[in-house]
Amino acid sequence: MLKVDGLTKGFGFGSNRLEVLKGINLDIEKGELVALMGPSGCGKSTLLNIIGGLLEGDKGSITLNEMEYGLRPPSKVVDIRRNGVGWIFQDFHLLPHLSALENVALALEMSGMSAELADEKAAWAIEKVDLIDRAKHLPDQLSGGQQQRIAIARAIAGQRPLLLADEPTGNLDIHSGNEILQLFKDLCHSKDDPISILMVTHDPNLAAQADRMLLLRDGVTFASNIKDAWGEEG
Amino acid sequence: MKAFDRIIDSLRIASISSWRTKERGLAIVAGVFLASLVVTTVLAYGNGLSQAFLAGGIEADVIDAKVDMKRPPGDNVTGRTNDSIQWASVCDDLLSDESLSVSDCDLVYGRQGIRVTGFFDENFIRPQPLNVESIEGITSDWENVSFDYPEQLESGPPINGQRSVRILGESSWDGEFSNRYQAEILYGEWPTPDRALNSRAVVLPNQVASQAGVSENETIDRLDFSYVSDYSALPAEIDPESCSGEIRTGVNGFQYCRETITLLNLTVVGIYADQPPANPALQFNHIFITGTVLTEEQNLTLMQNDHAYLALAIDRSKLPSSSTSAAADWLDDIENNVEGKNYTTANIEVDYYDLISGTLTFLNIYLGFVQIFDYIIMVPIIALSLSVLAYGMLLSLEQRRREISIERVIGATSETLQRMVLLEILVMSSAAWLAGYLLALASVPLILNAVGFMEFEKLDQLDVSVSLSVFSTIILFIIVVGIAAQFGRSRTRSFLEMEIDEGVKKVVIKEGGRRWLQYLIFFIGLLALIEAYIETTDPIWDEDDDGLVSNFILNGLLFIFGPFLLWIGGALVLGRLGSLGPKIAQIIFGRTPLLKDVRRGLQRSGSAESVNRLAIIMILTLSIVTLAAVQGETGTLVDERTASAQVGSDLQVQFTDSVNKSVAEQRLRDAIFAVGEDKDMSIGSTTVPTILTNIDGKASNIPTWVLLDSHKEVMIWDNQAVPNQDQEAAFEGWKTTSFTAGESAAITLELSREVGRGKAVSNDDDQIQTLTYDEDNFVAIPVDQQQIDLLSSFAQGISALDLSPNYSGKDLSNTDTWAGFNFSGSNLFDTNLSGSNFTNTSLVGAVIGFGLSDAQPNLFGLDLSGANLTGIGIADFNQLNPFISSNLLSGVNFTNSNLSGAWGFFDLNQSTLSNTTCPDGTNSDQSGCASGPAPAMLWPQEIVLAMQPLEFKIETTTRNATVEFMGQHRWVPGLDNSEAQTSLVIGESVWRQLVGTDVANNLTATKWFFDVGALASKDDGSVLKRLSSQISTQSNISSVSDWKTSHEDVERNGGLIFGTPGLLTLQFVVASLAAVASAFVFLTLVLTQRRKELAILQAIGASPNQVMRLVLFEILSIVIFSMFLGSLLGVGISYAFNGFFGIFGFIFQLFGGNSTPISREILFPWIRLSLVYLAVLTTVIMALLVTTRQALKADLAVTLKGE
Repeated sequence: MLKVDGLTKGFGFGSNRLEVLKGINLDIEKGELVALMGPSGCGKSTLLNIIGGLLEGDKGSITLNEMEYGLRPPSKVVDIRRNGVGWIFQDFHLLPHLSALENVALALEMSGMSAELADEKAAWAIEKVDLIDRAKHLPDQLSGGQQQRIAIARAIAGQRPLLLADEPTGNLDIHSGNEILQLFKDLCHSKDDPISILMVTHDPNLAAQADRMLLLRDGVTFASNIKDAWGEEG
Repeated sequence: MKAFDRIIDSLRIASISSWRTKERGLAIVAGVFLASLVVTTVLAYGNGLSQAFLAGGIEADVIDAKVDMKRPPGDNVTGRTNDSIQWASVCDDLLSDESLSVSDCDLVYGRQGIRVTGFFDENFIRPQPLNVESIEGITSDWENVSFDYPEQLESGPPINGQRSVRILGESSWDGEFSNRYQAEILYGEWPTPDRALNSRAVVLPNQVASQAGVSENETIDRLDFSYVSDYSALPAEIDPESCSGEIRTGVNGFQYCRETITLLNLTVVGIYADQPPANPALQFNHIFITGTVLTEEQNLTLMQNDHAYLALAIDRSKLPSSSTSAAADWLDDIENNVEGKNYTTANIEVDYYDLISGTLTFLNIYLGFVQIFDYIIMVPIIALSLSVLAYGMLLSLEQRRREISIERVIGATSETLQRMVLLEILVMSSAAWLAGYLLALASVPLILNAVGFMEFEKLDQLDVSVSLSVFSTIILFIIVVGIAAQFGRSRTRSFLEMEIDEGVKKVVIKEGGRRWLQYLIFFIGLLALIEAYIETTDPIWDEDDDGLVSNFILNGLLFIFGPFLLWIGGALVLGRLGSLGPKIAQIIFGRTPLLKDVRRGLQRSGSAESVNRLAIIMILTLSIVTLAAVQGETGTLVDERTASAQVGSDLQVQFTDSVNKSVAEQRLRDAIFAVGEDKDMSIGSTTVPTILTNIDGKASNIPTWVLLDSHKEVMIWDNQAVPNQDQEAAFEGWKTTSFTAGESAAITLELSREVGRGKAVSNDDDQIQTLTYDEDNFVAIPVDQQQIDLLSSFAQGISALDLSPNYSGKDLSNTDTWAGFNFSGSNLFDTNLSGSNFTNTSLVGAVIGFGLSDAQPNLFGLDLSGANLTGIGIADFNQLNPFISSNLLSGVNFTNSNLSGAWGFFDLNQSTLSNTTCPDGTNSDQSGCASGPAPAMLWPQEIVLAMQPLEFKIETTTRNATVEFMGQHRWVPGLDNSEAQTSLVIGESVWRQLVGTDVANNLTATKWFFDVGALASKDDGSVLKRLSSQISTQSNISSVSDWKTSHEDVERNGGLIFGTPGLLTLQFVVASLAAVASAFVFLTLVLTQRRKELAILQAIGASPNQVMRLVLFEILSIVIFSMFLGSLLGVGISYAFNGFFGIFGFIFQLFGGNSTPISREILFPWIRLSLVYLAVLTTVIMALLVTTRQALKADLAVTLKGE
């Protein structure tokens, strides 16, 4: 479903040039929950950003359900962010002056949905994250875990095939973190419409619960098997 | 040294860091710059205003002080000199002493030494000026010029009643004196020293020059002037033996021996405008002659006879303007310093006579009011600049909150942090302060020279050197930068007091407190607005004309403070509404493709505090822009309207004699020719005759002004003056049968108050009035028994007329030889002309006719066709005898002849009339000619007097006209405002109906209004001023006023006082700048704050286009809605300020003695305002596009990740 092929990315110029990604190859199947790990500065976020259409790569390609991208600047890949990937951030990034429902509906409306349909879909998504009783609340009135679940609702409402989560539990306590992970598993392993999730995390416990784990080191995917990865590190 | 290094180092770091964070620094810089600009301008303006006011207000000769030798001449007197060079060298001493502030000094021959202190000292009137005795010149007509100058005696103590001469030394031809003299020159120039020397220069007052018909560069062959060589206080008399000149007795109780000096071959190089009387000590309107024409001997003579003094010009800009006593002390100091020592080797002692201090006291009181007023109207702009400063500070420090908290986490102490922030603020605000300070000093002279809103005169009008003392500068710095620093300090401290995590958090929700206070302030302001509106528009329901608040004091307080409260309260209350903009945009565009997909993004976006502040700032600035533009424009127009109401037309001339239209116009044309313009240009003229009319049962002898049809083209009308504020309708009404009444006349006549106030009137009955007019006429009574006496007295009258040649009793009948002959002024009474050919003769002023005779002679067959019979007397005594039907003129041919102004007894019914001009000026072809007796006014006085003892009685003819009341007039241009209140105004046709055609056609008047077309505005009105001055030098002139001069007076003293247009201009410019700048700065800040939000939107699928639309709609809707509210509030405070201007206008009128009937009718300069709004909007859009593009270009990933 997602195929990254020979993706490279570097920053800076001349002697300051730093190649962060040196040819990433990876595949994610439909319904797979994949954890991406690696030491700080190894390029996890960079990779995620390129896949999520927030950054362009230097070389290589990305294929997501027939959609080809990877080298186009963020302003040219609006359709990827609208229909391809949903984003979940460490600090949630909900719009503070909009209610939970509106936060979700706004994203839908911007992709061209009518207001009524957007409301309906947003309610469905919030239902799915089990927060329908809080739909009218402002983000400030929700706990961190609840805010993150609203962010997840926002990401899944558009029925995008892939969710990208950058340290989704980084700002949450363990209990909330576990809840979020459970939600991820439910979404990936849902019978009728499974989605894929690529999650960056530093937390080995979370990573351990993923279907698969990728380790990124020195700009390449070092291992695609959790045991190998831990063996190497440990 | 180390400490010093550290300070330098931290300043350097602060500068670098402020430069790096210049975006947020922009707000501080803008605020401080504005505050500094405004506060400095206000202070410097106060300083400049005093100078300009005193300099402009001091009524004086160009000479500020007269320095005489303390010792009077006499034998063996020490402490004085008769050496003119030595006396002149005292000037060098005075000029070189900086502490004296003498800007020019010259040795002048003129009035003798005064040596007293006041007007009321007896010896004040004794010293005499040099007098002109005679002038000769071939090229001009000096014989008719009188050098008597009695006005001099009327305008001060009785010193001298003759035109005086002032002989000027070298210094008067250059430097300060030259500038002052040059300012009054009408023709030619005030010569340079070289020209004065070479041409033997003379400069004449215009009155003298006009009488002589002399123009510049003409030669005076000989000029005699006299000096006083001896005097004696009456009753003691001068011994004729001892006087080699002429002994004359003055009206001042002294006798003088005057001797004459003759100057030959001088040139008139300039002619100056006669000046109004000022300080009488030096007399007025001299003939100026260069001293280089005097021989050494003549110099010595004048020195010996005490005619030499030193004229001083004081540097008036140094005159302390803080208080009267300071100014008086300063002048006293100069006097004491000058008198305090002896000069030159001759140890000359001097006496200083000050000429300017007298006017100071009054001026200073007046100035005080002017300054208070000006300071008050600057309050909003000061408040505005301070609030821009405060808000800018707030926003920019807000951005530092997180930074400060983080720095605290990493261990910075609160002192270090405070110091850091303060240093940065200090560096930025000092730079901004300096820029504002310098700009302010540069712009003050410009502001003082503003004569109207956004209109400036040439800068040489006022000589003002604006400077602020070091002390004031330091105070200014401390105030402006201090406020900035204090604000920054308290804000930083409040961040430091916050919990760290709270500080790191992005949003702090704060509720603006004390809302009830804001609403209260707003309410009181609204009250002032309503009150001012009521009093401006004067609605009918406000019966007692005193609005809602009738208490005088409360009313005044409301008018003074209300506008400010309305402004502040309005901005706070409306600012909250302003942030509703996005909601409104959402309602309007929510369902359209423009907003459909981003609609939700607009929800509740206006609630952010920064957006609210943006709205408040926009409302504050734009309302001031509106206020300044509206009041500035209104004031400028009020000045113009006041001038128009005072003068009434381009030119108003009051003649000493009553003249008809053509004579009046001819006199104007003469003046036009004299000032070098085309005398055949088209001019318009009109006058306003006054008659007394009656309305039966209501009033009699009501003064009634008549607007001739020509008034429309000549007089400058104002909508406010006429009913319904509709000139065209009023003109049309007067032209037909409508009339207007002044306010008190309307009350006396019980005319409906509702008519002419823009409303339909239910009851028509009392609008129709019958106006009657009683014409009094001399009529000879045709009584048989009196006829003989009548004839003889008529004959007496004719002999009194002294007509010549006398053809009386001659027979000139049946001849052809007289055709074309000139009989003007001939006596043809009792001359037989029958059957003669008098075609094309001129009989102007002649008398024809016969007394009673049995033969009943006639003039049958006399051919007068084409003859000029203007003013002829025709005496057909048969007309007085009801029993005789004979007609002297029967069969006389008047074809093409002109009988206008003919008088006497006659009947033209049996004469041949064809294209004949009738006695009343009409043409016979139209309605025939009326027959005599002609109105008494046409009869020669001699005849009337001769016939008076007989029954030549007054017969009253009453005529009436039905007229319709069309409302109240408030004034008539050029006529007395208070008289207008008690008068009626009718049009020409009603007047003709009342007074009859004869009187109407022979109208003469003393007061005439002229329209001079394009000449009025030629050379910015200076031609009009010259024309006015030229007319005033003609004989037969009582007074002249022209629009330009009147307008200048009004601008300086009237409606909008000294510099106020400049202040409003400043307000307008600064507020416009503030609006544009703050829109830019605040937007940049707001959008920088929201960069992250925009990134989130993109991450969740918003396209750049959607983001752009979202931001544009959100901010534009706030800005546009705030603009709307701002202009609404601006209109409101403009009305509210009207009351304020009214109060001060009243005070100034009390002081200036200048009253205007014009009410401040608000005028909206929409074009000018739209330009500002457009500029603000453009700036906003530009700022939006730039910052949003930046936000879109920014690395999304980085923005989302962190700060």
